Amino acid sequence: MTNDGNSVRFDRRTLLKAGAALGALPLAAPFVQVARAADTIKIGVDNPLTGTYAALGKNEATGMAMAVDEINAKGGILGRKVELAIEDSTSGDAGVAVQKARKLIDRDQVSFIIGNINSALAQAIANVANEKGVIHVVPGGHTDSITGQNCHWNVFRVCNTTQTEANAVAGSVIKSAGKKWYYLTPDYAFGHTLQAGMEAAAAKLGGTKVGADLTPLGTTDFSSYLIKAQAANPDAIIILQQGDDGVNVLKQAVQFGLDKKFHLAGAQLELEVLLGLPPEARVGTWVFECYWNQPNVPGLKEFVAETRKRSGGHVPTARTWFGYASIHTCALAAAQANSLDAVKMAKALQGFKLPPEIALMPDGAYYRAGQNQLIPNLYVGHPQAQGKDDPEDLFVVDQVVKGDDVSPTLEETMCKQDWPA
Amino acid sequence: MTFDVKKQTPNIIVWVILLTLPLWIEHAGSYIQLGTQVVVMALGAMALNFLLGYTGVLSFGHAAYFGLGAYGAGLTLRYLAPSTGSAVVVGVIAGMVAAAVIGPLIVRLRGVYFAMVTIAFGQVFYFVAFRWNAVTGGDDGLTNWKRQPLHFGPVTFDIQSNATNFYFFVLAIFALAVAVMAFLLRSPFGRTLIAIRENERRTRFMGINVNLHIWLSWMISCTFMALAGTLYALLNNFVDPRALFWTQSGTFVIICVMGGMRSFWGPLVGAAIFVWLQDYLSSLTPNWQSFVGLVFVAVVLFFPRGVLGILRRRALE
Repeated sequence: MTNDGNSVRFDRRTLLKAGAALGALPLAAPFVQVARAADTIKIGVDNPLTGTYAALGKNEATGMAMAVDEINAKGGILGRKVELAIEDSTSGDAGVAVQKARKLIDRDQVSFIIGNINSALAQAIANVANEKGVIHVVPGGHTDSITGQNCHWNVFRVCNTTQTEANAVAGSVIKSAGKKWYYLTPDYAFGHTLQAGMEAAAAKLGGTKVGADLTPLGTTDFSSYLIKAQAANPDAIIILQQGDDGVNVLKQAVQFGLDKKFHLAGAQLELEVLLGLPPEARVGTWVFECYWNQPNVPGLKEFVAETRKRSGGHVPTARTWFGYASIHTCALAAAQANSLDAVKMAKALQGFKLPPEIALMPDGAYYRAGQNQLIPNLYVGHPQAQGKDDPEDLFVVDQVVKGDDVSPTLEETMCKQDWPA
Repeated sequence: MTFDVKKQTPNIIVWVILLTLPLWIEHAGSYIQLGTQVVVMALGAMALNFLLGYTGVLSFGHAAYFGLGAYGAGLTLRYLAPSTGSAVVVGVIAGMVAAAVIGPLIVRLRGVYFAMVTIAFGQVFYFVAFRWNAVTGGDDGLTNWKRQPLHFGPVTFDIQSNATNFYFFVLAIFALAVAVMAFLLRSPFGRTLIAIRENERRTRFMGINVNLHIWLSWMISCTFMALAGTLYALLNNFVDPRALFWTQSGTFVIICVMGGMRSFWGPLVGAAIFVWLQDYLSSLTPNWQSFVGLVFVAVVLFFPRGVLGILRRRALE
């Protein structure tokens, strides 16, 4: 089979070859493996740099870099400098995330691995880390099972579980609005678990469900659902949609005037999302996991100032703090255990309380023993259309909730850790 | 049968490289799992190429069978039996049955219509996996299972924690699958497929049941795709609905085109280039996808027959 009809002329081919050879030059770099400096400790980061979660990933990366600089300024981990090895996990491809985790652990010999924003990828990375016996810190993947049914002795999580967030908001909504709730839920795993979590949280406080609608992912017109919700005459409409769906449903609910008649509420909301919402859709009652404009929190002002320096004037979000606390967790584990042995470090973190300048919470934060879940404060409040003193001050905290009061008990999480013998 | 050294040269080169891979890959700055990934993706792409390159039918829905294999294996290990062997068998059967059922519905279509309907059927499986939380874990993926060591009577072959053993396990299955595909392609059946690719109408006039042949080719292709899917699941110890998504089908098509659709080993070369490029570039820059895209565009523009196609033409000249 020869190629006829579109033969390539010789000169073009020569040009191509030259181009390809030039292009291949930098690609030869991995073959010249850089000698690993024995005096540094590597922390592998397997987090999204591309795709849906790229913006959140960037904020987490800012926090991580800040923590590394702080640790190195104080002499590093066990006297050795810390260095980040950063890989793009993509926002949704578990195959890539797993491959990168193996690359970081096997080839780069990292002592810790951090990731992921996407809960599915976080679970996939946790499997690899558990197989290899490496400490894994999940900065921002919220699904319950990471520190619940699928928990591992070596997997720690900074951000809250979905159930904790649901519990935190439920009390506040019942108090301020009432007990009859109508749910608008995105129709996939995340939405289903969140709704189940909200229902369970409400039931404990005497709340009831007057109706619920599952909306397909990517719905643009929510009017039929909103009319149904209105007809059910609930005390509160619980909106669990995220991303574009969340923007659309909130905008339409406001257009229908529902925010005047009923209480709108949801579970977790992030500053990144709030900044992307049009002012009229900044309504409802939500949970923030960390908020920058808080009085009486030790170390928070310095943290905000440092973030502004590093991110072109932007304030830290919960994501910045997740990244920051994750890296500090690694350093603290090694210092506490006085060793880089994963089992010793994991044992040292059981029940470990973060120092206040890292916890950045009014009541501090600690890793709950037997589950490896960080228990911090949560902030329940409502968004405001425009920030008064700062364009990024879009949230008003109504109530600071103690994590201990709203976290499911250890039995409820169904976590059974598999410590190595 | 005489052994023609010149004709066998490519085969010898390929097998020497693949068999010695664990010896040199770490010195080349890479790691063994990347080699395993290349072999798995190559098997998938070669399965697709059975249909695309040798029958001339473009499917854009092969991820469905890849994912069915992956979920078949994962669900077996999670719920049924802690046996890697049965996981592979169940995964392959799942893919084969689905392909057998869907095949008759689409073999009458050609060209872009065929491609579109394969996407549509593929997305059905994606949404099933995405929505059926109780069984598949939905968007969070299927976890809580691991590939298991192989037991041959008293002997245990540890593919669970030993990455090199797992590589050879994957390579053995790859060898078997590739041998079957090569055998089929050299048989009269395989020649008929090439005839269909070259001139379908003429083949039909010769009294050959074209639709039946396309259906068979489709089923064989999907079955081997499912096999690749089971290996992919075992490699990652994890499956999520992304393995079934249509973009995954696109990846396989890109690999085939990059490597060369008309060459038997083309998809293997394509997989090596694609997996390595992705792994390497994504460590350097968040914009790695643009560079992979650029390489793809360059291949399509300048070497429409892929990397191996251009090498082979050079050899013929």
